[in-house]
Amino acid sequence: METKENVLLNIKDLHVWYRVYGGYLKVLNGVHLMVREGERVGLVGETGCGKTTTMKSILQILPPGDFHIPQGQIFYKGQDVLKMSFGELQRLRSREIAMIFQDPTAALNPVFTIGAQIGDVIKYSIALEEKKVHKEKIKTLSARALKEAYLPDPERMLVNYPLQLSGGMRQRVCIAMSISSKRNLLIADEPGTSLDVTIQDQILRLLKEIVEKKGTSIILITHSLGVAREMTDRIYVMYAGTIVETAPAKTLFKNPLHPYTKGLFASVPKISGGGIAKGIPGRIPDYLNPPSGCRFHPRCEHASQICMEKPPQLFEIEKDHSVACYLAQR
Amino acid sequence: MNQATNNEILKIENLKKYFRIGKDKRGPIFVRAVDGVNLNIKFGETLGLVGESGSGKSTIAYTVVGMYRPTSGQILFKDKKIGMEAAKRPLSLKREIQIVFQDPGSSLNPRQTIEQILTLPLRLHTQTPKRQLREKMVELLEKMELSPDYLYKSPPSIGGGEKQMVAIARALAPNPSLIVLDEPTSALDVSVQAKIINKLMDLQKELNLTYLFITHDLSLMRNIAKRIAIMYLGKLCELADAVTFFEKPLHPYTQMLISSVPAISEEEENLKPKKVVSIGEIPSPVNIPSGCSFHLRCPYKMPICSEVDPEMIEVFSGHIVRCHLFSKPENE
Amino acid sequence: MRNSNQFNNAIAISLAKPKSIFWTNLGRNWFKFSRNALSILGLVIVLGIIISAILAPWVTPYPEHAGPFVDFDNAGQPPSLGHLFGTDNFGRDVLTRIIFSFRGALIMAIVVLALAVPPGVLLGLIAGYFQGTWIDTVIMRITDIFLAVPPLILALAIASVLEPNLMNAMIAVTVMWWPWYTRLVYGMASSVKNEYFVIAAELTGASKFHIIFREILPNCLSPVFTKMALDVGWVILIGASLSFVGLGEQPPTPALGQMVSDGARYMPTFWWMTVFPALAIVLTILGFNLTGDGIRDMLETRMG
Repeated sequence: METKENVLLNIKDLHVWYRVYGGYLKVLNGVHLMVREGERVGLVGETGCGKTTTMKSILQILPPGDFHIPQGQIFYKGQDVLKMSFGELQRLRSREIAMIFQDPTAALNPVFTIGAQIGDVIKYSIALEEKKVHKEKIKTLSARALKEAYLPDPERMLVNYPLQLSGGMRQRVCIAMSISSKRNLLIADEPGTSLDVTIQDQILRLLKEIVEKKGTSIILITHSLGVAREMTDRIYVMYAGTIVETAPAKTLFKNPLHPYTKGLFASVPKISGGGIAKGIPGRIPDYLNPPSGCRFHPRCEHASQICMEKPPQLFEIEKDHSVACYLAQR
Repeated sequence: MNQATNNEILKIENLKKYFRIGKDKRGPIFVRAVDGVNLNIKFGETLGLVGESGSGKSTIAYTVVGMYRPTSGQILFKDKKIGMEAAKRPLSLKREIQIVFQDPGSSLNPRQTIEQILTLPLRLHTQTPKRQLREKMVELLEKMELSPDYLYKSPPSIGGGEKQMVAIARALAPNPSLIVLDEPTSALDVSVQAKIINKLMDLQKELNLTYLFITHDLSLMRNIAKRIAIMYLGKLCELADAVTFFEKPLHPYTQMLISSVPAISEEEENLKPKKVVSIGEIPSPVNIPSGCSFHLRCPYKMPICSEVDPEMIEVFSGHIVRCHLFSKPENE
Repeated sequence: MRNSNQFNNAIAISLAKPKSIFWTNLGRNWFKFSRNALSILGLVIVLGIIISAILAPWVTPYPEHAGPFVDFDNAGQPPSLGHLFGTDNFGRDVLTRIIFSFRGALIMAIVVLALAVPPGVLLGLIAGYFQGTWIDTVIMRITDIFLAVPPLILALAIASVLEPNLMNAMIAVTVMWWPWYTRLVYGMASSVKNEYFVIAAELTGASKFHIIFREILPNCLSPVFTKMALDVGWVILIGASLSFVGLGEQPPTPALGQMVSDGARYMPTFWWMTVFPALAIVLTILGFNLTGDGIRDMLETRMG
């Protein structure tokens, strides 16, 4: 798939620390991630690897007191988000980037109607340009957004409350909120994970259709390799706050190079049967005292001296396919 | 499916569990969580029970274990009737049937140490003298590949996978025969899941355990279950051995579920037998559609489907389906 | 087969752990407590009050003024270097009497809470566990009745029937204090009882005693401890209200409320006789409130 060289989002060497008793949790340890215009990017990683922290850093919605960013930059359309003023951040959040959260029940306010909540989103995204926005216009735009998310009877849906809807419908409402005005980048955090698998399938298909139709870029966070394969063009694999491998989706599935990626693939149960691999030995590192060098080395059967000393950098092995591993670089 | 009785550890016969949630003009309103299910589990096998929300799979699990009392029907464990609540069950029965819940965060008391958590079943069900309790616990932990210092840790300070290992250790402590596992790995990452599933399989061989394994993850089921039963809105749709289930699924819902599984490669995708695209919402169990409850979402719907609920038919040996596509027209 | 030596080593190592876990937990709890500077301020105030109360005879400038003492030549002196808070109408040093009155206040707080909290918690636990049954109804309706009576009126009624002294004041306050804990624990117990770990214990055959006291109770205690810290201040206030009207500690033993009421007659000329005791009450409640907030931050983040 031909993508333009226009880079929309470029995260460079992002480090994020979280203050706790005894020091800092060094959650992110040099994250590199790039999203081009119209590209569908997958961020694959397991619990605690830092995917949500990364996404929240983009929108600067990490709680300020406890989080500390010692180094790194997040360039959106060439401008560093970490240095943006409050006004610029507001513009970023209301017009440029939209986030679809994992749990739709928690993302919707139970005491306000759907119409009120979508209306707010639209109001804030338009309000920057137009001083006063007509209620009728908001209502029309809201109904249109709901229709695009294939919600039945959009006009009536506007006066419903979230608790009257099923989980799948709530997720559609969240998606509708994110597309209610033109956005350049969607960030979808594990969409459909909390829903039944047949409903999740519908949600993912909806996202795919929206992204294709509108040409929006999307970052899809997931822990499921199967979902990433079906939905993305390029995948970033994350472990313990670092990107360990990145490649176009087809390439990654044909030729995973990093031992962690390979371990993940082996652990997924296959429809073809054959039992389940033993998983990956060890556990995720303690971020308070992370392992020296490569953060994966305590769990890696190929670990050598240099792996314990210096953290490997992402190195391009073949076209567009980079790995942060000394083994693969040999 | 008539086998010698002593081959089956658990027999569920026409089990119904209704929950009363109020009433209207016509009378009391019930949620028909389980509506006439027949299921047998053989000694030493893993029976997979698959379904989405509202299917009733967890309700069956909870009824077997004694959290609920059946509304009607009976459950036989080793040929003895056990359909009562746990409070009324003899201690020996409580020892034999154990359960592992889905969310390890809430199934372990966050204010206790692991030592305290494991002491309870050991104290109640084994005659281990006090001096040897710790030794026994360390043995259990070692079986789950956890170091002895876990005894002094509390659930909030250990990871999800390890918590689930503790929950399994707790279930193993009294030497049970049947373990009910209600989505034990659904809340866990795939690499952690692999570790736990492998451990469960090893333990099954070593200790000759029988598992009633409940999940919504079909590809997981493919690899661990001997036979798979699929449920929709309180009723069984299809029951077959694992290989046949994936090679020749008969029920449209089964086909829809298999199609919805995100495949990890082209080969996997091509292994899916029949593509049935998922449409529609899962109806609420309060408002179960008439006739065959799946008819609103079924691509093969026929007029009879909205009127008459099909019977379970044994299409091949050991493979039963409940669908009008396979109903014999006049008899049965 | 296992090497029994290795095994014993493993046990020995593991047994050494609990002590270090204790210190780590303490450090972590202090970290959480000290995040907020106000909590530290509260702790400083509270420790100041407690230590000065314990060491009163040795830290106060005129300890004998806390007993039967008169010096009319020095009566009504405004605050000065010799008497930081001035003297009262009997010539007694106000600062000394305030510090001595902390003794009675703290004793009252400790005794009232020690007597009121255990029964309150126990009743709440039992009512919560048996929620929906007659046990629940009986316990909670009795609790409601006690809660319906305005607290101060109840305390006054009881205290005035009995002889006025510190012990009877404590009894009066205890009687009106326990229901709040029953309410608090009832809410927690009835929701904890539906958690899966409680169900797991029931399914495996645990006795009701074990379930109530080993499974449910430990999960209800955090808000109880927080409330106890906050309550110290409020018990002291109620105690001051009682001594304001002459119930509670009898003269010449000083009590904060008593000092406020005695000095009220001489307002506004001899303002220091009322104002300083009143400020002492405010400071005490403030200190315990801030400390209570800190304790809540310390305990309740764990549950989440």
